[in-house]
Amino acid sequence: MADENKQTPGPFDVATVRELVELMKSFDLSELDLNDGDQRIRLRRGSRVMTTVQAIAPTAIAAAAPTVAQATSAPPVAAGKKLLEIKSELVGSFYSKPSPDKDDYVKVGSHVSTDTIVCKVEAMKIFNDITAKCSGTIAEVCVQNGQFVEFDQVLFRVDPS
Amino acid sequence: MFQRVLVANRGEIALRIIRACRDLGVGVVAVYSTADRGAPWLHLADETVCIGPGPAAESYLKYTRIIAAAEKTNVDAIHPGYGFLSENAEFAEMCRASNIEFIGPPHDAMRKLGNKNEAKKLARVAKVPLVPGSEGLIATEEEALKIARQIGYPALIKAAAGGGGRGMRVARNDHSLVAGYQSARQEAEAAFKDGSVFLEKYLEQPRHVEIQLLGDQHGNVIHLFERDCSLQRRHQKLVEESPAPNLPVKVRDEMCKAAVRLAKSAGYYSAGTCEFLVDKQNNFYFIEVNSRVQVEHPVTELVTGIDIVREQIKIAAGEKLKIRQSDVVQRGWAMECRINAEDPGNNFQPSAGTITRWQPPGGPGVRLDTHACTGYRVPPNYDSLVAKLLVHQPTRPEAIAVMKRALAEFIVEGIKTTVPIHQKIFSTSAFVEGHVDTTFIERVFYGQGSAEPGK
Repeated sequence: MADENKQTPGPFDVATVRELVELMKSFDLSELDLNDGDQRIRLRRGSRVMTTVQAIAPTAIAAAAPTVAQATSAPPVAAGKKLLEIKSELVGSFYSKPSPDKDDYVKVGSHVSTDTIVCKVEAMKIFNDITAKCSGTIAEVCVQNGQFVEFDQVLFRVDPS
Repeated sequence: MFQRVLVANRGEIALRIIRACRDLGVGVVAVYSTADRGAPWLHLADETVCIGPGPAAESYLKYTRIIAAAEKTNVDAIHPGYGFLSENAEFAEMCRASNIEFIGPPHDAMRKLGNKNEAKKLARVAKVPLVPGSEGLIATEEEALKIARQIGYPALIKAAAGGGGRGMRVARNDHSLVAGYQSARQEAEAAFKDGSVFLEKYLEQPRHVEIQLLGDQHGNVIHLFERDCSLQRRHQKLVEESPAPNLPVKVRDEMCKAAVRLAKSAGYYSAGTCEFLVDKQNNFYFIEVNSRVQVEHPVTELVTGIDIVREQIKIAAGEKLKIRQSDVVQRGWAMECRINAEDPGNNFQPSAGTITRWQPPGGPGVRLDTHACTGYRVPPNYDSLVAKLLVHQPTRPEAIAVMKRALAEFIVEGIKTTVPIHQKIFSTSAFVEGHVDTTFIERVFYGQGSAEPGK
């Protein structure tokens, strides 16, 4: 077990930090907030400016940055169509899957109905299931796994047709 | 010192705290409800988090969302401001249990002082005078008569569960005491399903004088002298000033010492205020401790030159008070007018809406604490305070002159404000002479006799 942990570099590994800093520079990221179990690292670049919270999730880093760029610049899917929004009713961390080794609750194209669990939001160590409260097809996932979400923030867009 | 502080409040006090953090080089996270989305003070924070919808119960009073926002934004401390969660010991304890410092007093002291009976017990131990009255509830008519004769008339019969003047009677002799005792009990029984009453001396036309305190976590407590907040309308303060006019220095000094004794005996630290009533003979009686920063704190900041909010943050971070009692001096005279979005011409109805023109006063001796500006929409959900207009001058007559000038300069359109009533107050001779008490507004402006409760 201990050996296994050594092999996967932890967030406080100097090499990892160096790599992260390089990644931040090349993709011009101003802030990075990583959680791994009870370990956490937060990196910041440049001067403090007013930011709406946009912590980049661990999975996004692992999947390399093109995903990040894509996610932030992607135009709303099916523009022109009237889409429904699933908004956060809580302040906390967004989780797209029931546990790290499981699949996402929903993906673009998944069909949801009122009671479908679409994600979890963790606030003060309590994981709250969030249901769709509408039915249709997921057209857009607006936040990433692990991202901090605030009240009223749009989590998903749903095509009701 | 803290790296980052979360401000769990809104409006002018949120802005005041953000400024104090900036002055200390501390980062700031502001939280807001959807009713305050886009509000001007939010632009001055490093980060903002929406915590809920307009109703305060679902946003500014929602512990879990505030603490979740604090954890996710990595702050070391939460400043609660005044109102909302500022005097909530449970919230303070929950913050500390989550490893986030609550910028305020210890929660144990908050709990003790927040309970009226506990606070009175503490006051008795600290030899702080209380309004004479029954030690507890009154069981019989005979007991009521006995106590009333001991403390002297007029006496006030008060429902234990009371509030808003209900279940309250003023008795001026044995006859009216017996009648009042019965009717107060019936009224309280009907209104609160609890007919128990107690008795205390009724103070006629008292003044409200409070002592500002600062204490650190190392056992030091100092006072920053007094504020006179007698000018109230229905228990809402309108004008505050320091020093208190026509209050003998000897009485004032005794009050300051009593307040410090009480704070020390409660193990209190942070900023706080000890409130007293002062009768016509200049006897003072303890009412309660406000365990938070108060709306009118800038009055004291002006006369003492001490930044109370900054001190509060430093104290919470564990720093020792650098100011000694002997360093604190009252310099000149400060006055504050609370400018509320209310219509004085229409029974002070709240006047929410968009401010179409906001032309604030300025010039020498004027300080304006406000979050409002042209185009700002005053939401209907919260307190109506939109600005605190303060002046600081060497003497009271000069302060009055500057305040009158500032009020005349102040132009607000789109909403109604309390500016006109302040102009009226500052032109009333009794006020100019410093003869004010808590019944002044009702008595002088609305001709409501002595404005006794329950009448």
